[in-house]
Amino acid sequence: MASVGPTPGGERTIRARLLRVALALALLANLLSLLLFLRNTPIVFTVFMFVAQPLFLLAGLLLVAAILAELRARGIV
Amino acid sequence: MTARLVATAAALLLLPGVALAAPVGRVPLPRGWVGTTEDWVRGLGIGFVLLNVVLIGLAWRVLRRRGGAAARGLLLAALGLVPVVVVFLSYVHGLEGSKRVEACGSCHVMRGHVADLRDVKSETLAAVHYKNRYIQEAHCYTCHTDYGMAGTVQAKFAGLGHVYRYLTGTYQLPVRIRAPYPNTRCLYCHAESQKFLKSEDHPPESIPDLLSGATSCLECHGPPHPRDAASTEKKAGGPESDPRTASR
Repeated sequence: MASVGPTPGGERTIRARLLRVALALALLANLLSLLLFLRNTPIVFTVFMFVAQPLFLLAGLLLVAAILAELRARGIV
Repeated sequence: MTARLVATAAALLLLPGVALAAPVGRVPLPRGWVGTTEDWVRGLGIGFVLLNVVLIGLAWRVLRRRGGAAARGLLLAALGLVPVVVVFLSYVHGLEGSKRVEACGSCHVMRGHVADLRDVKSETLAAVHYKNRYIQEAHCYTCHTDYGMAGTVQAKFAGLGHVYRYLTGTYQLPVRIRAPYPNTRCLYCHAESQKFLKSEDHPPESIPDLLSGATSCLECHGPPHPRDAASTEKKAGGPESDPRTASR
């Protein structure tokens, strides 16, 4: 019988990819924060508020998504 | 092993982060051996950012070699806990920095106003307050912000508006205040002073008009800023015209 949906190994790959994207986004957000600490101007602060913060938030949401996916895979949720 | 590595990285990065927070481009006023709150916020912010970068690197490596389960703790720290601290410190640093004269003066359209502020020969209201240090710091912010929490929030939103108009070039020259300057901002500092209360020019019957704004403080005590900020900017050696509006 043909299997339906992603295989367990495939799901792990998707979760790992999600986490790598989250790490990359968090890295970019950190670099923008570092720029703010080194050069505090209104424009840099605005970039931090509207770019770095959403990146941090997205990275956190991707982490939560990966955690929920793992819990679902283990049958806990 | 990973926990020990993380702890060592944290110690190595947080302490120098504080030391890196040297004030840039400021008069070297005495700061005491421990530095100011601003120095610490900046130093800790840099330290936590570097710590976060290290944690991200470690998490990436462990994720690649051993999978998500092994990197759980690192991922939580790198994507959850440390970023919260970084965002908090960044906000504190950014908001405090946005109050300084240098922040307002970073846009070239304000150079004329800031140049006049620093001109010891100028007798505009802003310059007199600045050179005599009647306001100790955050000079522009103190006079252009209403009081209470709402005033602060309103000022920050106004600042965002300024940045938007500056970046899109949709501001008008000469720069003018949006609404008449409220007397209450002057009276916040001056209303209780003996000089104001005992002055013959402010008899008690004139106080209601001053409080309501029917008579503006600036009618007698102006101008607050140079009427021709562009020529002040020229004297300061700044650009003579705004290239974004020159063709309009």
